[in-house]
Amino acid sequence: MPLAQTATTVPVVVNDDLCIADKGCTVCVDVCPLDVLRIVEKDNGKKTAYMKYDECWYCMPCEADCPTDAVTVNLPYLLK
Amino acid sequence: MDEILDGLTQIDCDILVIGGGTAGPMAALKAKRKNPEANVVLLDKANVKRSGAISMGMDGLNNSVIPGYATPEQYTKEITIANDGICDQAAVYRYAQECYGIIQELDSFGIRFQKDQNGEYDVKKVHHIGTYVLPMPNGDTVKKALYRQLRKARINIINRFMATRLLTGEGRVAGAICVNTRSAEFLVVRAKAVIMGLGAAGRLGLPTSGYLYGTYENASNSGEGYAMAYHAGAGLANLECYQINPLIKDYNGPACAYVAGPMGGYTANASGERFIECDYWSGQMMQEFYDELQGGKGPVYLKLNHLAEETISEIERVLHIVERPTRGHFHEGRGTDYRKQMIEMHISEIGFCSGHSASGVFVDEHARTTIPGLYAAGDMANVPHNYMLGAFTNGAFAGLDAADFVANVDFAAFDKGEVDAERARVMAPTKRDDGVPPNQIEYKTRRLVNDYLQPPKVTAKMELAQQRFEEVRDDMQHGMYVRDAHELMRALEASTILDCAEMAAAASMYRTESRWGLYHNRVEYERDDENWFCHTMLTKGEDGKPAHEKQDVKPYIVEIAEDEKDAYYKQRVGATSSVAAE
Amino acid sequence: MTAVDQLFEDFDDIADLAEGLDDPSPGARIMAVIELADTADPAAIPFIARAITDDDAGVRKQAAQALTDFDGVETAAALVSALDDDDPAVIDAAARSLTELKDPKSGGAILPHLSAANDVKLRACLAGIKELRRVEAMGPAIAALQHVSAEVREQAVGVIGWLQDESALPALRDAAKDADVKVRRTALSALGFSKSDHAEATLVNALADPEWMVREAAAETLAKTGGASCIAALRGVLGDEYWQVRLKAVRSLGKLRATEAAMEIGPMMDVPVPNLRKECAAALGELAVPETAQFLEKYADDRDPDVRKNVRWALEKLAA
Repeated sequence: MPLAQTATTVPVVVNDDLCIADKGCTVCVDVCPLDVLRIVEKDNGKKTAYMKYDECWYCMPCEADCPTDAVTVNLPYLLK
Repeated sequence: MDEILDGLTQIDCDILVIGGGTAGPMAALKAKRKNPEANVVLLDKANVKRSGAISMGMDGLNNSVIPGYATPEQYTKEITIANDGICDQAAVYRYAQECYGIIQELDSFGIRFQKDQNGEYDVKKVHHIGTYVLPMPNGDTVKKALYRQLRKARINIINRFMATRLLTGEGRVAGAICVNTRSAEFLVVRAKAVIMGLGAAGRLGLPTSGYLYGTYENASNSGEGYAMAYHAGAGLANLECYQINPLIKDYNGPACAYVAGPMGGYTANASGERFIECDYWSGQMMQEFYDELQGGKGPVYLKLNHLAEETISEIERVLHIVERPTRGHFHEGRGTDYRKQMIEMHISEIGFCSGHSASGVFVDEHARTTIPGLYAAGDMANVPHNYMLGAFTNGAFAGLDAADFVANVDFAAFDKGEVDAERARVMAPTKRDDGVPPNQIEYKTRRLVNDYLQPPKVTAKMELAQQRFEEVRDDMQHGMYVRDAHELMRALEASTILDCAEMAAAASMYRTESRWGLYHNRVEYERDDENWFCHTMLTKGEDGKPAHEKQDVKPYIVEIAEDEKDAYYKQRVGATSSVAAE
Repeated sequence: MTAVDQLFEDFDDIADLAEGLDDPSPGARIMAVIELADTADPAAIPFIARAITDDDAGVRKQAAQALTDFDGVETAAALVSALDDDDPAVIDAAARSLTELKDPKSGGAILPHLSAANDVKLRACLAGIKELRRVEAMGPAIAALQHVSAEVREQAVGVIGWLQDESALPALRDAAKDADVKVRRTALSALGFSKSDHAEATLVNALADPEWMVREAAAETLAKTGGASCIAALRGVLGDEYWQVRLKAVRSLGKLRATEAAMEIGPMMDVPVPNLRKECAAALGELAVPETAQFLEKYADDRDPDVRKNVRWALEKLAA
């Protein structure tokens, strides 16, 4: 069976103006117990963290440990 | 990242600790300190900095046995009663004797416990007999402090490798096969001893929200420890004694009665009245909770709105900062305020977890499993009700014993064919062009768990579950499809979850009586002490299916009076020697 | 690079990591601080201490946070210096890290600042020295009880309480009359270590405090002092307008085995506050005065399970 592309809202939001992934920072990616964050290069060539997989326990280390307060953890829509 | 690579590396170590959450780091530290020459490797599928059940911290110790507040004898008695008598007391008693030393050691690590204005531990009374609760108002520093100790001790840490199978040979443990969660490369670790601290099977039932990861336990705790122990031939005890917890509905995080209780909050029904009879967290208590939910007096609420503003502010500070900080966001989003209304509660999905219940990989008071050289500690081992402090303390026992064990043995030889077979099993979903993604396999398994295994347990429903699990297993083995290494990790978890679901069904079918309140409420059977006052041991049978046998409860160290043995079962207070609850 | 090439977490050379502190980009310097902290190697302290004076506030904040992972005089000195920062986030981080120090020797760097003119700095230094239990802090802490800031005074009381020194009782007694509620409450709780009449007299007086939280703290702490006057005083607040105060008084009377209070606690079983009724039943059981059975018997089948259990337990004690 082929796969579909189903949209889903993700709870973790990264402010890419504050994110310093460009400087080699991967703190949020490192600390996520479920490993759902990744670094991506944007169109302007700057890198930022983002939530790649909608598999979040809303536990917060990514937000708490971000050195520039760029990460916000919202509650997944299904349970909020 | 996430691209699937082909690779296989082998390393050797004296002690391999799998799981860097709570028990694992303590095991690694204790082993290394006892035997500084030993090569100790700590492996985690996440990053040790923030992995495990206490990823973001913990708001208190629920079961501290501190001189002057509780005695090891009192505690052992309480836990035995809470488990309807099915308890090998040696491990509980040793924990109770040594956990105070662990508290002091954690304190020296910089993990902070509540102290009064004279700097003494500020222990709170919540339970009926003893006083066991030590709050941690700044408990968000636990993991950082642990990590610091691991670095100082120069423990070798391997992050983002998931152990998938244990290796055995010569009648003992030989190591583990692991796969990288971001590249699918294989790592074979030969080890003289293996300590498992892999946490609960927290992704077994499906939470009411339907969100796969909105579980009560940390969703990364998907039960690998149970599955690996099973496939290696270890015994698992009393798996029919599920974990079910009270929680904040939908948010699915703990209501934290241990925080709110000493400050005057309580669990109430829709009329705002207390209804829980049971003295200690147990299956009986959960049965009462369930009855209230279903019985027309529900829903059930966390009641704080009778407290003063100053008290509520302090409760909010602790509950919303430590352990599950998003809880503040949740209440804000819902517009719920502890001051104005009671907060709706519910019960959790089912899982395996000895932290709050009693099932798990069978261990003795040294954290030894039934396989020589293989240890287990924390939520996955069957020391009942051991919570976070139990994980630390039993983890310490495992590390100390393993340090001795490795001094006298060399690596056990194992069959290389096992590695090839495991590589083939693991990589199968990467070899297909399309098929069923792991999230659908997982969703279906867990939905079936809710439909058919959630108590009250009905034989015919559990038989249906077993049939349907077979079908899902067939789909998984022949049709599961993944596109990258991350999805492969989820596929492996789906397989673990299915293993756990099958064990839950099989164990529940075997014990033909009701016991532990809601945890094993089999509606067709009464409690039957004559035939079932025993452990049930589940192992992997010759046919590859779960096999069962009874195992005697070891003679008690701390005697329990006849009329106290089933005090919780009868939902009444014991007649003697108890102290009133505060 | 594949995953197995970097199997283990690194134990990098400190000097190599420290080179990142000279990077022109603040983000890169933040990363260097994080990596230095992750080494958990005390050799990293001087470099992080240097970063706490960085031009960029984000780097300074990260350095102040990072020092939570270390201990000792050098760490403490760097944190104290950060309390003079002009960015509140840096000061907050440094103040928090100061409270995480464990080694009493670290206090050497804090002691000279216990008379700092800056309120925020003084408060943080007092909070930092508290758990280190340095006796030299007693003098400055007593002096700080006169400080204009209530937050400073509260921390000063904490320092004195942790030192558990009878000679500081007059200071705590004064603090128990402080204008600020939290200071009074903290001071009363801090008196718990003392068995002296002075401490008890102070606690007894506080039972008449206008603020309920102060009266509550006094009623609770009186169970620890346990001298001649406290029972009469606790009986005096059994009619307090706040149930929270009455609850603590009942509990303390139970712990003190104050059988003379039993006939006053008995009728309180009728007060429609579940937490209080539960406590009264427990205390009546502890006191075990046979005449109180009349107050308990009518609630042996109370709707509230906690009350019912304590009542039945108490009745057993009375009968025994």
